[in-house]
Amino acid sequence: MTAEPQAESPANAPVRQRSLAGRLVLVAAVWSTLALVIAGFILVGLYRAAGERAFDSQLEVHLNTILAEMVAPDTTGGATPGVQRPENLPEPRFSLPLSGWYWTVRKADSTNILFASPSLVGDPLVLPSIGDKESLSGFAQGPRKEEVRFLQSRITIENISYVIAVAAETAGFREEVSQFARQVGLTLLAFGAGLVGAIFLQVRVGLRPLSRLRSSLSAVRMGDAESIDENLPREIAPLAVELNALILSNREIVERARTHVGNLAHGLKTPLSVIANEARANPGPLADKVGEQAAVMSTQIQHHLERARMAAQRRVIGVSCEVEPVLSRLVRAMDKIYQRRGIALQSSVPGGIRFRGEQQDLEEMSGNLIDNACKWASSQVSVTVRRLQEGGSARSLFEIVVEDDGPGLSEEERKEAVKRGRRLDETVPGTGLGLSIVADLAALYGGRLELERAGIGGLKTRLVLPAL
Amino acid sequence: MRILVVEDDADLNRQLVTAMTEAGYAVDTAYDGEEGHFMGDTEPYDAVVLDLGLPTLDGLSVLENWRRDGRTMPVLILTARDRWSDKVAGIDAGADDYVAKPFHMEEVLARVRALVRRAAGHASNEITCGTVRLDLRAGRVTVDGTPIKLTSHEYRLLSYLMHHQGKVISRTELTEHLYEQDFDRDSNTVEVFVGRLRKKIGSDMIETIRGLGYRLGEAVDG
Repeated sequence: MTAEPQAESPANAPVRQRSLAGRLVLVAAVWSTLALVIAGFILVGLYRAAGERAFDSQLEVHLNTILAEMVAPDTTGGATPGVQRPENLPEPRFSLPLSGWYWTVRKADSTNILFASPSLVGDPLVLPSIGDKESLSGFAQGPRKEEVRFLQSRITIENISYVIAVAAETAGFREEVSQFARQVGLTLLAFGAGLVGAIFLQVRVGLRPLSRLRSSLSAVRMGDAESIDENLPREIAPLAVELNALILSNREIVERARTHVGNLAHGLKTPLSVIANEARANPGPLADKVGEQAAVMSTQIQHHLERARMAAQRRVIGVSCEVEPVLSRLVRAMDKIYQRRGIALQSSVPGGIRFRGEQQDLEEMSGNLIDNACKWASSQVSVTVRRLQEGGSARSLFEIVVEDDGPGLSEEERKEAVKRGRRLDETVPGTGLGLSIVADLAALYGGRLELERAGIGGLKTRLVLPAL
Repeated sequence: MRILVVEDDADLNRQLVTAMTEAGYAVDTAYDGEEGHFMGDTEPYDAVVLDLGLPTLDGLSVLENWRRDGRTMPVLILTARDRWSDKVAGIDAGADDYVAKPFHMEEVLARVRALVRRAAGHASNEITCGTVRLDLRAGRVTVDGTPIKLTSHEYRLLSYLMHHQGKVISRTELTEHLYEQDFDRDSNTVEVFVGRLRKKIGSDMIETIRGLGYRLGEAVDG
């Protein structure tokens, strides 16, 4: 089965619609990517805030330790009564020069540093002013231009207000946050990929009934099935039901058209017989004219009825028929009709070949060929059906070959015979449309009619038609 | 030879009857399916011309009923529906031949002649018995090559005997195949016709088999 090529020019070619599966996957993918990115940012933000709070409480512990060490109840007097330089701090990094961990103590009303950690080695620790607040935390630059987080707190000892500041390098913390962000990113990326995959799968499985519907419809169109399988999910089952109704009504319309055509034929042919016979029974110039015109009418009616029938039966979807029973019936009937002329009718029709089209048309085509052969044969006619495989094309075909041992036709006559309404010999009764009708019908089905000289002497007609 | 014509179109029916009568047949006629079926079922015909599109009972059913009841007379069907499916259906129902409308009367006559001849087992359109020669196509009889004139009843009688030559034919059978249905048979007895025929073709040609009937030509089995 091949896709139908679009014959339209690019200008008015329809814009190709994105597939349903594509739409669903795209929307789901965009949405989940967005959701995952936002989730990632929120997670990292929360993690950073939690980390900062932990950092701050660590700084507060140090600040309290410094405060505890600073308070000396036995020292009094001087500029800073009850206060001594804090020593023996548990954090060794306060002693290592430029370690990133610093503290300072100053009086609240002065910018002069009272005490400073050894790690500062004389450099100043520049921090934002605490102002009137009791405590202040934030980020600042350390002596090495490194980023530090600080905590300043105002305390009062012996009525003197001091500001204690503790600062620590944030590099490790920053590293930890970005490492966390990387992990979160990777995790969410994997999660997102899994999600998109799952959506894709879901869409595929979800839309499978649609593709089942499509192949079912295509089977009907190809004639492999009579109707569409209606065993489908609730959402699209009504579509299948409607399609089946459409197929059925198509068949009915064709059937009705055919019935009308048949009735018309019956209605016209009897009076025509009467007119023609009446004229022949009463010879004279008027009778000649009537007879001649009746013959013309008869040919015209036959011709147009055939065309109307052909138009009616073209493109009926989903029809096929078994070749063997049709041919066998025909051969049996012909045998009965022509046995008076002593014609031996031989046939070789294998079973299992299906014609892709209307049974009536197959009957019409092969009936005309066999009838024609029997009319002309002197003693024998043979009918052979064979399946064909034409080189290159995947199309399945079969042929009906009818041969007779009659006088046959010359090459010129063979060409003439398949033209419309041509009757080669007026003495053998017939409508004169036989072979040309067969050729036209065969062409409608994408087949062909070939005339050759038969091995047994007369005419060989070869009808090639599409098979299933 | 007696023929039944079943055709609902009055004009066509009349034309068929006229042509058949002129060709020397005794012709009965019916205008619908039921009447036709009854006549074919009860009277012995040598051939039937049956239209398929009939009122009350269609031709195909008439034919099928006859065949089911064991009526074997040859039947020629007339049909306007000339698709092969229609023709094959007719043949399958038991028809012996078909003619598609519109037709020439000669065509129908030729087919009927062939059917009658074939039913009696004759291959040619000329039947001979001794010096008597019957040309079915022309409806002519010659004795020793000399044409003789026969009335229609004499022709029917000779034709029937010639078709069934060598067989003993009863008077009843002859009567049945010589006259139309509503013919006054009393005034035209078979004996009178046999007597006249003997004068024209030679008295030794038709033998009277006492108590059984008549025989033309040498006796054959069956």
